[in-house]
Amino acid sequence: MACKLFSSKRKSLERNTGAGYLFLAPALLFYSLFFIYPVIFSFIVSTKRWNMLVPLSRARNVGFSEYSYLLKDEMFLGVLTNTLIYALLTVSLTITIALILAVLINGAKLSVLWRFIYFAPVVTPQVAIGTIWGYLYRPNNGLLNSILRLFGMKPVYWLTDPNVALFSIIATAVWAGIGGSMLIITAGLKNIPQDYYDAAKIDGAGPFRQFFYITVPLLSPTLLFLTATGFIGAWQVFDLPFTMGRNAPARSVMTVSWYVYETAFQSLRMGRASAGAFLLFCIIFIFTLLILWIFKRGGIKGYE
Amino acid sequence: MRKSLVLLLVAVLSLVGISGLAKTKLIFAVHWSDYQVEGVKDEKENITVKGLRQYVEEYQKSNPDVEIEIQSVPFDDYLKRILISHTSGVIADVYVLYSLWGVQLVDSGILDQVPKDIVDKIKSNFVRAAVDGATIDKAIWGVPVEVDNYALIYNKKLLQEAGFNQPPKTWDELVAMAPKLTKKNPDGTIAQYGFAFLSGWDSAVVHPYLALLHSNGGKMFTDDFTECLLTSKEAVEALEAELKLFKNGATDPAASVWNFPAGKVAMMIMAPWYETSLKLGFKDQYEETVGVAPIPYLKKPATAGYTWFIAVDAASKNKKAAWDFIRWMTLQDAGGFTRMGELMAKNIGAIPPNKTDINYFKGELDDLYTSVFVKELENTYQEPNVAQGQEIKTILMREIIEAWNGRKTAEKALSDAKVQIDKILAEFYK
Repeated sequence: MACKLFSSKRKSLERNTGAGYLFLAPALLFYSLFFIYPVIFSFIVSTKRWNMLVPLSRARNVGFSEYSYLLKDEMFLGVLTNTLIYALLTVSLTITIALILAVLINGAKLSVLWRFIYFAPVVTPQVAIGTIWGYLYRPNNGLLNSILRLFGMKPVYWLTDPNVALFSIIATAVWAGIGGSMLIITAGLKNIPQDYYDAAKIDGAGPFRQFFYITVPLLSPTLLFLTATGFIGAWQVFDLPFTMGRNAPARSVMTVSWYVYETAFQSLRMGRASAGAFLLFCIIFIFTLLILWIFKRGGIKGYE
Repeated sequence: MRKSLVLLLVAVLSLVGISGLAKTKLIFAVHWSDYQVEGVKDEKENITVKGLRQYVEEYQKSNPDVEIEIQSVPFDDYLKRILISHTSGVIADVYVLYSLWGVQLVDSGILDQVPKDIVDKIKSNFVRAAVDGATIDKAIWGVPVEVDNYALIYNKKLLQEAGFNQPPKTWDELVAMAPKLTKKNPDGTIAQYGFAFLSGWDSAVVHPYLALLHSNGGKMFTDDFTECLLTSKEAVEALEAELKLFKNGATDPAASVWNFPAGKVAMMIMAPWYETSLKLGFKDQYEETVGVAPIPYLKKPATAGYTWFIAVDAASKNKKAAWDFIRWMTLQDAGGFTRMGELMAKNIGAIPPNKTDINYFKGELDDLYTSVFVKELENTYQEPNVAQGQEIKTILMREIIEAWNGRKTAEKALSDAKVQIDKILAEFYK
């Protein structure tokens, strides 16, 4: 009897499992079509010498030679360094400034207005931001150099000086990214109970102690999220360097996505471009794991 | 059952009949802007200057069995459009193509062979630079429709203010004049540029350099494309000639030719297509301000050029109809001129490469601006049609910019370019 019951329960469970997979099917199909298939296709292309003008089946097989070319190519390594600098500075500066502003605005009057002002750049297209900041950075009549001149300082060639151009683009990216991060941090701040601050005040903790011992630790899952997603986005950056950095020496401003785009659609080397994209994918994957590991060691287990 | 079969047979036969009567459809891909396709219109929407569509409509009227769909794609996306259309299998039948892309397209079997009667007419009726542009591996792959070259554009007023009544004839004269045309801010930065180099994309940087290279008696490759010659004495001297303007303070990497209409640039090297912008910028001051002269030379007069040609896709199902349309548009006499020549001279503002059109549209081409470019066609050296031309041009651009920024000497920049370019040539020519 018990055996029969067990068997019928199992059958029902099996039927339910099938139904479960059926419910999952649309998501799995979507994921396979738009993620797994492109990744596999991109990997196959990366082993071919293909210009997209002939069928892929006619393209010559070159094995992993495009990968070894890229890993020895001075240009690609330079581009990788630029992207690393961009990612590290953009993410760290954006989150730090957004955190400070969010804390200041959280208790301020007209906080909604402030949040709106800081959030406005987030809804502006990156190309538009690049163009507007291009005007601000103009060497002769740009706003920034006009201000420098007002204080008797020498103007800077913001977007053409190879030692400055990448940092000018990073500054723009930080400006454009603060609003989004600030909004998420503000949501995190709202979840911290006021009691903790009240108790800390009673114990004699000042604003700085409250910030470092209550706000920052309790915001850690939010900061982990912002860091991980920020790095993923920063490694893939294309629009801002492409629109703002075209008059600077390419080695000083080019990012991996820009390099991949140019290799694919100007040089018609789809294999090399795919190898570059695949390397970028691996770097982002490893970098994200590293961030999660660092946070985990610090006691944050938000994404396990 | 039998009745159903009869009905089915009738339906199938009707479909076959309809398809037999269907029009031949051609897709014509161009990179032209809205007014170049749709025509220039006045305030009441009347066509004042014909665009491509009006010519296509005229052709369709006289050939009712042909339907032509114009697909206009911006220049930046044009090559991508060709690539993606071939991957997806939805190709255009007729393309207007940049000559530099030709080698890759021919090597991949994308272009159809040009009929012999058309080849003969191109050889006899078109200017040399344009024929060179449409020639790949000694064969002509399309009908040239537009030829562009470069000249020196100068601000007459700024030159006169500095005591110069004539533009420079040689590069040495230009190098000597440019600092006297330069004005600096109190902080030492340049307020008015004696000379500004075109920059921002590869052709902008590379073409003027190629003009100087040819002017100095050099060339970029050996004739069989097995070696890049950028480390030759002529090539290094040509880049050093550019760098003299950076060293004597007449220009810097931040210079922008787009400031010419604002009176902030005294001299620059430019292409014919900038005429309209200059007219709009200077308005009624245009004629008394803008001057055009051949590029000041190093050893002999020379300028660089590039060509656009019209070609048929080898995979087109309507190749004969496509070539018939091209014959009508680019070669057939429409009253002393060709229709494409009229479109180029009157609407697009480019130099038509057909000698008949150049003679016929003297009114349009003999103005203050374009006349110099037309005269310079005889000194124009076509950009070489080499495999991976776009990639090679990008490499050279990057190295020239490194030299402009003082990060490399002319010799180092060009020798670095040569190493990279020779690797590419070895892939395709050895």
